[in-house]
Amino acid sequence: MLVSPLSLLRRPQWLSLPAIAILFVAFGLPIAWLFLDSLAAPNYSLAYYKAFFAQPANIRVLFQTVEISAIATAISLAIGYPVAYFIARSSRRLRMALIVLVVIPYLTSLLARTYAWIVILGDQGLINNLLRDLGIISRPLALIYNRGAVYVGMVHIMLPMMILPLVSVMMGIDRSLMSAARSMGARPFAAFWRVFMPLSLPGVRSGCLLVFVLCLGFYITPASLGGLKDAMLSTFIAAQATSSFDMARTAAAAFVLLGIALLVLALFGADLGSAAGPGGTAPRRGLLARLLPAGLLRRIGESATPWRASRWKAELNRSGHASRIPGRLLALGAGLVITFLLFPGIVVVVMSFSGGTFLEFPPSSLSLQWYRSFFSDPSWTGAAWTSVRIAAVVALFATVIGSLAAYALSRSGPRLRGAVTLLLITPITIPVIVVGIAVYLGLVQFNLIGTMSGIIIAHTLGAIGYAVVIVQATLANFDTRLERAAMSMRAGPMRTFRRVTLPLIFPGILGGAVFAFIHSFDEVVISSLVSGMSLRTLPLKMWENMRHQIDPTIAAVASLMMLLPVIWMVAIYVNWQIGNRAARLPDGGDNT
Amino acid sequence: MTNIPPPPQIEFTNVTKTYGTVTAVKDISFSVGRGEFVTILGPSGSGKTTTLMLLSGFETATSGDIRLAGQSITSVPSWRRDQGIVFQNYALFPHLTVRRNLEFPLEMRGIAAAERRRRVDRILERVHLSGYEDRVPRQLSGGQQQRVALARALVADPPVLLLDEPLGALDRNLREQMQGEIKTLHREFGMTTICVTHDQEEALTLSDRIVVMRGGRIEQIDTPEQLYDRPASRFVANFLGEANILSGLDVPALPEGPVPVGSVAMIRPERVRILPCDAAPAPDAGRRQRVAGTVAGVVFAGPIRKYEVRSDSATLSVREHVSSEQPVFAAGDTVALEWLRSDLRVVAE
Repeated sequence: MLVSPLSLLRRPQWLSLPAIAILFVAFGLPIAWLFLDSLAAPNYSLAYYKAFFAQPANIRVLFQTVEISAIATAISLAIGYPVAYFIARSSRRLRMALIVLVVIPYLTSLLARTYAWIVILGDQGLINNLLRDLGIISRPLALIYNRGAVYVGMVHIMLPMMILPLVSVMMGIDRSLMSAARSMGARPFAAFWRVFMPLSLPGVRSGCLLVFVLCLGFYITPASLGGLKDAMLSTFIAAQATSSFDMARTAAAAFVLLGIALLVLALFGADLGSAAGPGGTAPRRGLLARLLPAGLLRRIGESATPWRASRWKAELNRSGHASRIPGRLLALGAGLVITFLLFPGIVVVVMSFSGGTFLEFPPSSLSLQWYRSFFSDPSWTGAAWTSVRIAAVVALFATVIGSLAAYALSRSGPRLRGAVTLLLITPITIPVIVVGIAVYLGLVQFNLIGTMSGIIIAHTLGAIGYAVVIVQATLANFDTRLERAAMSMRAGPMRTFRRVTLPLIFPGILGGAVFAFIHSFDEVVISSLVSGMSLRTLPLKMWENMRHQIDPTIAAVASLMMLLPVIWMVAIYVNWQIGNRAARLPDGGDNT
Repeated sequence: MTNIPPPPQIEFTNVTKTYGTVTAVKDISFSVGRGEFVTILGPSGSGKTTTLMLLSGFETATSGDIRLAGQSITSVPSWRRDQGIVFQNYALFPHLTVRRNLEFPLEMRGIAAAERRRRVDRILERVHLSGYEDRVPRQLSGGQQQRVALARALVADPPVLLLDEPLGALDRNLREQMQGEIKTLHREFGMTTICVTHDQEEALTLSDRIVVMRGGRIEQIDTPEQLYDRPASRFVANFLGEANILSGLDVPALPEGPVPVGSVAMIRPERVRILPCDAAPAPDAGRRQRVAGTVAGVVFAGPIRKYEVRSDSATLSVREHVSSEQPVFAAGDTVALEWLRSDLRVVAE
């Protein structure tokens, strides 16, 4: 069927085609291929899977991967929930500030953050040096290269991704519900437990799913901070993919990992879609209620009835007030967690200015020597320049393709929109190592391994996902009546888009571009697979450096990379302010 | 009708509430009798919501005393008060069924399951929602949600019911229906009811007495009729209905004497008659006042016709019931306006 440009405008659904096409070619086909490979096509047998499970070492690593991911998720939830609660309950201004403080580490390079933990936890690191100087210990404590360090590093990386969905769900919980519960005799904790907590469960679920699946595929931090015993399946897959050419065995391992991720998503995320829909008769039961035999909780609650009755009588109309202690503990805890999130970055930035031959904290003298060493070493500056160029092209591609897709999806029915969105964000929702292997395989076919174009294609896949999500969120708030208004004033579809739609959704597009840029600039797992040893991006150079020798120059690099999110935040803020001012201009003094 | 005031159930004595430098409620005192239906009426920022917050225990007064049946409850937290509240947006728990919503206050009071079930069934029947037990709030219409909210506030049989803009979210027809419903429930259950609203019609229809608030102070407390007919101030006169302020007109001596300094004469638009300019004076012309004017605008609003009439320096509005005996005037017509002097009111400026 031929599609004329005019009908393209009438049926904007077609605009999502470029995004779908690139996903299909660079990821869909290869992963199908990979799957067939793992099934030993064309003979079709489960031999490779059998071989995988026949090795006890594999099973141990698999179990360990799930265990580390689950525990890291649990810790993130345990720490993140109270912090999210605190943020959601804060005043508007404080909330904005706290969200920014949570987002800054999220936008900071993963490698820079992981490196920071090496500096803090290492044998010659901040904590050990401090304790030794204080005379508390004589030999360094084993703080790094063990499971504990893995959890510290992973939780640090994952916390923002736990906190942000929680905050967004919690902010949607009507405060008057808690007041209502109290007015009916529920003490503050009962009001929280019976009303707030159940309503926050969707946030708990999306946060946990996000963190768990990311943990499954993300091996940089465990590999840097853990010992040899703390290997993850993804480490294993990455090593196999680059060292051996037995694609089928690697593929089988990758699909085992993907299988676990999909299983968990299916088990806990199956009703993600239906939760938003207006259908459904009975309310969904809480996770706890689903795990425990039905009625047990009810019976436990019922047994407290006489006690409740006597307390109600005893306390009726008695003066008192809610204890301030929980609130203060919460504030203190939130402060500590935010410090935990920001501290490593601060340490690295301060250390990068140290004047000695080693990195020290606090530095005994100040110098710019490591920055000098960075800028005078062509292997560093070259890598940085490569990364910037790649990220810029990726940001451009992903933003254009992603925005077109988002626009198309915003004009589609909810079912199509849901399905296509889910498809387009696959590269950022399944374990990254699986994406890496598939893309690697795809690029091999086109002879693009080790080329800039190859890396750009690989990064664009994930970057499109971010762009689509962010632009779509902006479009969801866009009032389509404005377009009709413009058309009623004789503006054609193109002009309407250029003069009305585009300016209004521009902040979202810019946000999408920022995320696309950061995604590419920070990407290391997929890059390490498709760079083919010949091309060095900045994260790859850092990663190599961290594994082989700790060159203090890396502190300067990490500091420079931490500057990036700050620049982005300022850019977004300025853009937002300009947008606000523009919006306020026409009617002069509003809110006065 | 004899009007012996029942003993006060709720008593505010010199209550003040400040937030930082902002005083939301300034030194208010009033009392509410047992079983009375009192509405706190005022524009936004008048302190009416703060008053309700103090009464419900969500806020604590900065100074002053609040008593419930003689006992001070000034610093009793809301969860230790026996009260029912209907929230502005109903605040029904979205994750619980109607039954579990209604059981909530009973559970908190330690009432056993069997008794809870019985009481929930009874109140649901009372608000005509039997059969809706297993629905969740979002499966109910606005009116049904309102009923569930009322039922939930009443199910534990509290001595005090607080209504926070209870009908604001409903459309006009439903609102009138619910007003009747609330009145009936109040008669039946006999609980002391405090309602906060900015809707004057709601206040007039529902209440035994109305407390009009303005800028954190009480402007006037009276029965709806007294409040409408004898407003104490220009503010009250304007807030409850429309008022013609006769400041620009030469007002002859009133039955009570001349209009004192700082006060103005006021007349309600429905007390003004509009006549052709050459109409013969009525036999009791001595009791009436007549002024000449020009019709500036006419609005037909169904049962009534509203005129804007310009006279000397003032513009008066007139409401006349549409009737075939009445001449109809058009903009530009010269007319006479006439009213009984006894219908003039003196209100504080």
